[in-house]
Amino acid sequence: MRATGAGGPNPLVKFASQLWGSIFRHGLPSTDKVAARTALTNFFLHIHPVRVKKSAIRVSYTLCLGGLSFFLFILLTISGLFLMFYYIPSVDQAYQNIKDLQFVETFGLVTRNLHRWAAHGMVITVWLHMARVFYQGSYKPPREFNWAIGSILLVVTLLLSFSGYLLPWDQLAVWAITVGTNMAKYAPIAGPYTRYVMLGGRTVGQGALIRFYVLHVVALPLIGFILMVIHFWRVRKDGFTGGL
Amino acid sequence: MATVVGNGGGSPNRPNGGGRATVPNRRGVTGPELATPPLVVRRREEEETVVTFPSLVFREFLAAMGITGFLMLVSTWVNAPLLQRANTAITPNPAKAPWYFLGLQELLERFPPVMAGVAFPTFVIVGMILTPYLDKNPSRRPQDRKVAISLMTVYIMLAVAFVVIGVFFRGVAFTWQWDRVLGHPGVNPGT
Repeated sequence: MRATGAGGPNPLVKFASQLWGSIFRHGLPSTDKVAARTALTNFFLHIHPVRVKKSAIRVSYTLCLGGLSFFLFILLTISGLFLMFYYIPSVDQAYQNIKDLQFVETFGLVTRNLHRWAAHGMVITVWLHMARVFYQGSYKPPREFNWAIGSILLVVTLLLSFSGYLLPWDQLAVWAITVGTNMAKYAPIAGPYTRYVMLGGRTVGQGALIRFYVLHVVALPLIGFILMVIHFWRVRKDGFTGGL
Repeated sequence: MATVVGNGGGSPNRPNGGGRATVPNRRGVTGPELATPPLVVRRREEEETVVTFPSLVFREFLAAMGITGFLMLVSTWVNAPLLQRANTAITPNPAKAPWYFLGLQELLERFPPVMAGVAFPTFVIVGMILTPYLDKNPSRRPQDRKVAISLMTVYIMLAVAFVVIGVFFRGVAFTWQWDRVLGHPGVNPGT
């Protein structure tokens, strides 16, 4: 845009440049110094340290697995949000809602597919991330507790996937949850009660559906998100272990 | 560093050995690493570093775009399964847990329920959380960690084997079946 008039630059351009400058307090990372300032002043970038060892970010070292797990969580949150607009957690309506998503709603099919495959993908990447961290001994002091948080995050990931499994309310869903929750029954004394609390009854019905729904869309993502924030913060403070 | 100013021969910026031991390392971490701070600090300075933005952020962006593209392709061609509407009166045979719990279901076939459904999973989860506290070996080099690596490898191989068995080799009534993989002619393909 060219400045118009004699009194200096176009006020609109001035405003746009002020607006841009107020949001992004830095330029493009032309030099290391600018790049460092960028990382320090940007909320989304400050999750990373300003500088890292070259060996620590080799793709052959991290395989991007932790980052991919987090990205899949974001992808699942977004696709899940769209699915929530069309889904009613009622045994009378849930199955028909899924059918509508598949055959009626615009992009409903691909959104549901994406949510399903990303969920399986996240279970796999979280597992592989754990294996990677183990084989490289990156859980050793001072990172013991972050490994413990990561272990709980693995369990939360499994529970998120398991609770989502019931929601389509088809034969696959109900019987997989029946088999899955039957395992809890075997715990001495507490077993049957645990199963009753999980299902809100003795069989997989409306009580189970609403419990799994609330756990799936609110409780577990929230717990997972809080643990992730702590997990990342500790990675940031302890530094990356780097190549062996 | 102000505490070491004027301590005789040493320059203000280079505290003596005793001074060093009380200075936390650069990450502010107090722990076993504190025992040898000069070594740790020197080795870190020798390592080549890069700015995370854009070096790391760019790679993360590529990875995110890559997996989004891959999942979009898969989602375009492969539909998520959806069977008949739930019917508690009709039990499908076999009734299987989600694939990541098929290892547990496999254990339930082989061991008493209290062992397979409660003792093993509890042992695995608690054992996993406690791993860094049980593994006292300070070395990260694979050649120093033969026991740890062997144990983990055995565990992962067993877990993967059980899931593969559960998905591909368990048929009606969760009994062993070769058909699903070998595809015997004349076998009902619907199972």
